[in-house]
Amino acid sequence: MAHRLLSPGKLLARTAGAALLLLAVMLLCSLLGSESVSMKAVFSGVPEAGGTNPDYEIFVHVRLPRVLLAAIVGAALAASGVTLQALLRNPLADPYILGISSGAGLGAMLAVISGCSWTLWGRSPIAVFAFAGALGTVWLVWAVGRVTGKFHLTGLLLAGVVVNAFFSAVIMFLISIARSQQLHATMFWLMGNMTEEDFFVLWVGGGCVAAGIAALFLLAPKLNAIGFGPEDARSIGVNVERTQLAAFAISAFITAVAVSLSGLIGFVGLVVPHAVRLVFGSDHRQLLPLSSLAGAAFLVVADTVARMVVAPAQLPVGIVTAMIGGPFFLVLLVRYNRKVSWVR
Amino acid sequence: MARWWLLSILLGAWLALGCLLFPSRRADAVSDASPATAPLRIVSAAPNVTEILFALGLDEQIAGVTQGSNYPPAAAQKPTVGTFWQPNIETVIATRPDLVVLLTFPQQQSLADRLGRLGVRCLTLEIWTVDDLFDAIASLGGATGKEQAAQRLVADIKIRIEQLQTRLAGKKRTKVLWVVQREPLRVAGRNTFVNELIELAGGENAIGPTLHKYPPIGGEQVLACGAEVIIEPAMMPGLIESQRTQALAYWQRFANVPAVADGRIHVIDGDIVSRLGPRLYEAVETIAKCLRPELFGE
Repeated sequence: MAHRLLSPGKLLARTAGAALLLLAVMLLCSLLGSESVSMKAVFSGVPEAGGTNPDYEIFVHVRLPRVLLAAIVGAALAASGVTLQALLRNPLADPYILGISSGAGLGAMLAVISGCSWTLWGRSPIAVFAFAGALGTVWLVWAVGRVTGKFHLTGLLLAGVVVNAFFSAVIMFLISIARSQQLHATMFWLMGNMTEEDFFVLWVGGGCVAAGIAALFLLAPKLNAIGFGPEDARSIGVNVERTQLAAFAISAFITAVAVSLSGLIGFVGLVVPHAVRLVFGSDHRQLLPLSSLAGAAFLVVADTVARMVVAPAQLPVGIVTAMIGGPFFLVLLVRYNRKVSWVR
Repeated sequence: MARWWLLSILLGAWLALGCLLFPSRRADAVSDASPATAPLRIVSAAPNVTEILFALGLDEQIAGVTQGSNYPPAAAQKPTVGTFWQPNIETVIATRPDLVVLLTFPQQQSLADRLGRLGVRCLTLEIWTVDDLFDAIASLGGATGKEQAAQRLVADIKIRIEQLQTRLAGKKRTKVLWVVQREPLRVAGRNTFVNELIELAGGENAIGPTLHKYPPIGGEQVLACGAEVIIEPAMMPGLIESQRTQALAYWQRFANVPAVADGRIHVIDGDIVSRLGPRLYEAVETIAKCLRPELFGE
């Protein structure tokens, strides 16, 4: 078993290494963009005599918040992907499998169509509705899944699939009757829409995601046990139902935060956990922090590509995550094929 | 259990600290308020806004436009700041604008909010109808110190349209099917500015009121609508001829529709008729020529 081999020192060293790598990636990516920014001008700050300093504005108020946002969202999606793959014991699981994406999408679509324009703590109606839609859908799926009793996981998955399909149909209906200008807004949102955010929003979002990941980390030993099957887990004294509920709720929460910050970004939550698992094995005490950091770095890179490749226009980041992530994952899959067992 | 309490307390403390560190910045956001001086560097986020700025004689002051701003030809020489749907905020800031003019589309609104937080002055125009256009020209004139040029521009467009109206007066209205997209078929409905243009040009929409602004329709409605003229705006100016060939071939399947039977299928320059801008009269005249060629000696 892998986790016997994992000493605290090794875990700490690997996590610290990944964190340093993430910092380096973030620094590098914040230096890249459609405009070239002179760091000398950035450090001279805002001119006191009035006037503007475009380099400072771009670096501090546009690029830095956006890189931070990508890191927060990437970490949340990857951590949530790890958790759901473990809980559902299904390699195809990702943060959106239980209907979060369609629930959030429906919320966003309703916000756009209703045309309301208030803000709640600096968040637009799209973000607020998406957050509510995401959590509401997970609750619905969980409630339906519970009723199915013994075959809980299968019931949960099926409920997720059906709710996804139903809400997607409602979204499609709304799209078909939407006005073209509303349509474009939601299409970009559905493909992942990164914009720079207020520092307060990043502070709150980052805090919630970090706390969620820390909480999942506390559950990691129990997730390891559940990986061997619920019966085995019970036999060593794990309260399976409570662990499942807590882990589902936390991962749904951080996914909802991520989705409300940046729309639906696919692939990060599916591919990053698998990639980390292929390379480092599937002990969740290690998988969780490493995946979070790798997910953050991956999304920062993907978003930088999205910002630059067709500059001064930009691509929806969801396209880039799939186009980089797909081939990268296939290479890993071939190279580490001996380790393709996702549970142990 | 202790670890969970610790985590909750840490999160609470973090959020509280955030509220202290980042008091709301909304207060210092810049509104659409009138300027102290006329702006010298203007960024236009939409092709029709660019056309208005040029028509007001602000050629020199335009510091950036979005992709697709191709009229007048000098507009295509201006630096681009991204696309209409996704303007690039970095590029906008780098042009050091003292006025950014946008439309009330969600993405543009979002850019206006974000630029406002950075203290960049933005003017958001709402242009959905012909009347909106006249109001927008006036408020753009007001924001750029070109009030008189704006008044002259609006008056000029109005006079030319009125002159056309007198020539069209008393004539029966021609039924027009305005095809936005052929496969699947999508046409302009009543609640659109295209509908206004058709009516100003002496026609009426062959399609009645619909739920959609640009309703998708089936073959049944095409046969029933009794369109006397079919108009397709070409999205690419260079492709008008090839689109015309395709259109003629496509519409043969509806040979019973009067427009097809009489060969009155027109493919016209989409840029002129799809933008509500200072070329409004040219747009109306282009359509009127399709409906009543005899009035124009064609």
